[in-house]
Amino acid sequence: MIRSDKLVRSLWCWLLLLPLVVVVIFPLAVMFFTALKPASEIYVYPARWLPQQWQWSNFSAMWTQTGFGRALLNSLLVSLCATVLTIAVSVPSAYALARLKFRGQGGYRQFLLITQMISPVLLVVGLFKMAASLPWFDGGNMTDSRLSVVIAYGAFGIAFAVWMMTSYFETIPRDLEESAWLEGSGPVRTVFKVFLPLALPAMAVTALVTFVNAWNEFAVVYTLIRSTEKQTLTVLVTNMVAGQYVVQWELVMAAAICAVVPVAILFAWMQRYMVQGLTAGSVK
Amino acid sequence: MQNPVRGPALAWGLIAPSLLLTIFILAYPLSTLVFQSVHDISRFGLLRAFNGLDNFRTVFTDPVFAHVVWRTVQWTVCVVGGAVLCAVPIALILQQDFYGRGVARTIVMLPWAVSLTMTAIVWTWSFNGQYGMVNASLAMVGVIQEPINWLADGQLAFWVEVGVGILVSIPFTVTIFLGGLSSVSQDIYEAADIEGASRWRQFRRLTLPLLKPFIHMAIVLNVIYVFNSFPIIWIMTQGGPDNATHILVTWLYQLGFRMGRPGEAAAISLVMLALLLAFTVFYLRLQKRQSAKAAA
Repeated sequence: MIRSDKLVRSLWCWLLLLPLVVVVIFPLAVMFFTALKPASEIYVYPARWLPQQWQWSNFSAMWTQTGFGRALLNSLLVSLCATVLTIAVSVPSAYALARLKFRGQGGYRQFLLITQMISPVLLVVGLFKMAASLPWFDGGNMTDSRLSVVIAYGAFGIAFAVWMMTSYFETIPRDLEESAWLEGSGPVRTVFKVFLPLALPAMAVTALVTFVNAWNEFAVVYTLIRSTEKQTLTVLVTNMVAGQYVVQWELVMAAAICAVVPVAILFAWMQRYMVQGLTAGSVK
Repeated sequence: MQNPVRGPALAWGLIAPSLLLTIFILAYPLSTLVFQSVHDISRFGLLRAFNGLDNFRTVFTDPVFAHVVWRTVQWTVCVVGGAVLCAVPIALILQQDFYGRGVARTIVMLPWAVSLTMTAIVWTWSFNGQYGMVNASLAMVGVIQEPINWLADGQLAFWVEVGVGILVSIPFTVTIFLGGLSSVSQDIYEAADIEGASRWRQFRRLTLPLLKPFIHMAIVLNVIYVFNSFPIIWIMTQGGPDNATHILVTWLYQLGFRMGRPGEAAAISLVMLALLLAFTVFYLRLQKRQSAKAAA
């Protein structure tokens, strides 16, 4: 009896969600089927969903023709370094906000909120100018250097990371730290032996979000990086489309799939922790 | 019990790295923007002369600018409004206990994982007038007879982009609402059931008021993201055809990096910053008033 109740409810739920499911799946299906069409089936009218000839070799062709591997490495390098930078400076801040009381605490929170509002796109003209005026080892300047992108991403990730981790840190009970102090453990030791292990899941989720944001960022890297050997995946795929006389859509879609799938898996896995994190952050 | 290590010195010491890095990445570009906005600058970045508010005057009197501002308002209001309106029922459904809920949640969240850049690229191809799958699918189910040139007409292209904007904003908004809903205890609904309140009444009287702070938060965060959103419009139409899809960010990018008018681009940046700052102040005031009300 209860079972059939749930069955009916499930049907309703899926029926109501159907329009959204279609709109979400649609571009993914376009991506998938286009990536597997031979070039001769791309510009065909009327367009067909399924390829007549499934061309899996598009993936290897894309890999060799577009410099995908290099862009993938650049994306990994830039996103990883930016994440490390963000987490390294944000953890102490979040700890201070969650555990210490000090003058200017509210002011610092407001400062973070305001920086969160300033998107990098707004500063892009200034960021470019800044990179151009900072000298760099090779005698040139910091435009077209991956380091400038790393610094920009690292800095722009701080507000979110601190906010996210502070709200998590505040949910970690103080009892364990307090008993460690009573047993004579020094404050530094307590932080490393008791607090940080408990805070690890929060740090991991925040790091993942920061990483994905850096991986997906477009405007800053599009502006700062000019040479093809330093471009990231978002720029690589965009350049395959923009300013081309004839776009090889089958290769574009193959590249897009390869860029999206790892992040999508990461996200599907991480998503339930996100709900928890946002809840913890917003209840207060 | 107090933390054995105290004192503002320690706190500020811990905060210093993040504070310095943030200030570094904001202060220099900001001062550059201010400087550029009041100077005449060549397309190669050569400084020619101080020109006061000329850049602002040029920007404001450009006939395109008024359209761009109006379109930015439309863009922000429609995308944020659409996302919030869609996200409330979606979150309520995903909150139900039903078969395949995990799968449904993952599907709803997917557009978030696919970056804006890739989303924009795939939709550009899907909306291709001749070879795109949108037309092909609509023709297949018999909705249209003739292919529609979606992105060739400015008005139409803009509303297509608004639709894509809503789609990509839904996952984040739903996540906020799911967080909100999960903090609501089920007891009050049971009590309401016993008292015979209808579903609709329960939604109006219980769920909606409880969700209000979360709706508030979703609107504020989304306004910031959407107002600043660059990739969708830039990749799908580059603000064209005939400047008919530009919003402020794409217009400033066009001026700064395509048309070689960095001074004017800087001026627009500052105007946008001022708008965001006004919005922030307004939001902080609102928050303060609300927490005062809650405390009372």
